[in-house]
Amino acid sequence: MKKLLTVDDSASIRQMVNFTLTKAGYQVFEAIDGKDGLEKASKQSFDMIITDLNMPVMDGIQMMAAVRKLPGYGFTPMLMLTTESQAEKKDAGRKAGATGWIVKPFNAEQLIAVVQKLVK
Amino acid sequence: MLQELESIGEEAKPEVVCALERAERELIALVADSEGEISAVAHGFEALAHDTDAILRLAGAVVSCVEDEKVLSVLPKVQGLGAAAQQFIRERLEATVGILQTVTAEAKLLDRLSLLTRSQRSIARETQTLSVLTNIEVARLGQLGVGFQYLAHELDEFSQTVAKSTKDLSNLTDEHKTSVEETKRMLATGLPRIRQEFARIESDLGSAMAAVDSSQEQLMRAPVQFRSCVEEIAGQIAGVVAAVQGHDITRQQLEHVHQALRWMAERIAAASGLEEPPEQPQIAAGLEIQVFQLRSIQETVTNWLDQIRSCMKGIQRISSSELVGIGPLVLKQEREISTQLTRIEALEQECEKDNEEVQATFTGLSSLMHLVGEHLKKSRYVRDRLQLLTFNSIVEASRLGSKADAILEISQSIKRISAGWSEMTDRSAQAMEEILALVEQAKVGMQAFAEGSKEGLMAARSETSAGLENLREAAQLAAGHAVEIEAATARLQDRLLTVGGARDHLDGCFAHTGAVQKQIEEIKRQGELKYPGAIKRCNRQKAEEQFSATYTTEIERHLLRAALYGTPIPVVEQNLAGNDVELF
Repeated sequence: MKKLLTVDDSASIRQMVNFTLTKAGYQVFEAIDGKDGLEKASKQSFDMIITDLNMPVMDGIQMMAAVRKLPGYGFTPMLMLTTESQAEKKDAGRKAGATGWIVKPFNAEQLIAVVQKLVK
Repeated sequence: MLQELESIGEEAKPEVVCALERAERELIALVADSEGEISAVAHGFEALAHDTDAILRLAGAVVSCVEDEKVLSVLPKVQGLGAAAQQFIRERLEATVGILQTVTAEAKLLDRLSLLTRSQRSIARETQTLSVLTNIEVARLGQLGVGFQYLAHELDEFSQTVAKSTKDLSNLTDEHKTSVEETKRMLATGLPRIRQEFARIESDLGSAMAAVDSSQEQLMRAPVQFRSCVEEIAGQIAGVVAAVQGHDITRQQLEHVHQALRWMAERIAAASGLEEPPEQPQIAAGLEIQVFQLRSIQETVTNWLDQIRSCMKGIQRISSSELVGIGPLVLKQEREISTQLTRIEALEQECEKDNEEVQATFTGLSSLMHLVGEHLKKSRYVRDRLQLLTFNSIVEASRLGSKADAILEISQSIKRISAGWSEMTDRSAQAMEEILALVEQAKVGMQAFAEGSKEGLMAARSETSAGLENLREAAQLAAGHAVEIEAATARLQDRLLTVGGARDHLDGCFAHTGAVQKQIEEIKRQGELKYPGAIKRCNRQKAEEQFSATYTTEIERHLLRAALYGTPIPVVEQNLAGNDVELF
């Protein structure tokens, strides 16, 4: 079973991502902020990471940049799931290593389709 | 800083700071409360999704059973059975009427045969008398009467043959009459019952077929309903997923309003003692921005709470849809067809019993026909012999002249008897023809009665039985699933109540947003009164930088611009269908 990591400071968002992707047959792990996400990613490997942008302690862009440097994460798909839609933020995300960008609220079916496409 | 502010006695703080802090505290409490409630709603919906999944999985299994060709073909088979049963009863009714007519005719014929045998018995007695008289005359004539001895002998023999033959016929006629009367009585009393049964079965079959037809129609609709149910559930769940995310956006907006209020309270508190806080223009603009934000938050909350409400209604609809009742429906249909099959089997058995009785009556008719045939043969022989005897005795008596007057008289009597006998023989022949016609008629009637549409009915019954077996299998599966579906539906209903409770609490939490907005509007109004024109002196760019620094959503930025620059207020139309994914 493919392992996914969802990083968000909102418990309900983590819950919704978890619920949507578990239903689609993935094993979903949760992290409460960027720092927690980075720690979890360094301890075990994930097939994909879905992270929020604005979080306390460490934001999503910082976390992505750090995760990309971890061994084995060079090509791991990483999606930014955020309320932000500003072009400069997206650009920063891309530079940090994001594979894609979703503005909240996400469409469950589309999220599943993208995960299926990226995680093979 | 907040602690510092709180450490200053409430009386020492300017009233506006206290009001801002109150609003701030209310927002903090609101966010905290709503966080708990939205989590309850999210958990509740997650469980609801599992329940609906369970229901749909079970309903899906029943639907695939129902979609099976073997089950779908039951209706045409039942229709065939109904038509065959109706034809069988109709033909049975017609045959019974025909047989009753035959039996009535047979009874009349038997009466006539009785009369005939009585006449023949009287002729036999007369012939016996003539035989005695001839013997006396032969004795009186002595040598001259020797030629007439054979006449007396013949007459004696004829009378004995006729007596025996008529006795046999009479006995059989009487015996058969009893059996015919019994059959006639049975058929006459049975006919109204058959008519009644026919009407009843026709009506019962009609309603059974209508019921089967309607439930089959419902079953045919099930796969379509199932697919639309699956789609609807998926839509409702997606709606809830979006609504929960909607709350997260609202939470962020509220936190930003709360941060702005805190900044303003700090600025006002820091400037206490001054005639006008140096940042009053920014504060005035900030209050305006927060009013815009709070109004928008209320609309957004209404939007996603409506979405949750509509999702719950959708799930409620599904839990009471026809799909949930699909199991009992298949069971009902199976019971309906089983009942009809049992009734048709009972009808066939009853017919079989009636057939045996009618068959026995017609077997009697057949032996009667045989006997009448024998009797007719003998009658014809007697008639021919009597004619010859008459001729010979007249010739011989004429030859002897007046000495044989008495014999001539006897010969004349034999001639009369012969004529009578001849007539009766004709009547016997006629009776024989009638019996033949009756036997033929009876054969046709019996054929219709015994076979007719029976084979068709048996074939239809056997086909329906096979179809019923398939339906029974589907019904058994459906019955098992129906219990599970019922339990899952009950769980779902309970869960809907719990989620409904959390949603109502959430609604209550956000009702405070309106009160906070009013408080801020009042602070803004007081400020305008105290520092008129402050907002006009505001450096908009600076205010934008100040308040948008923490913003994380586009809607907040739009609202800020609407408050500061008068740009159109964005329509709160949250994309509850969810946004697309942009891949880099």
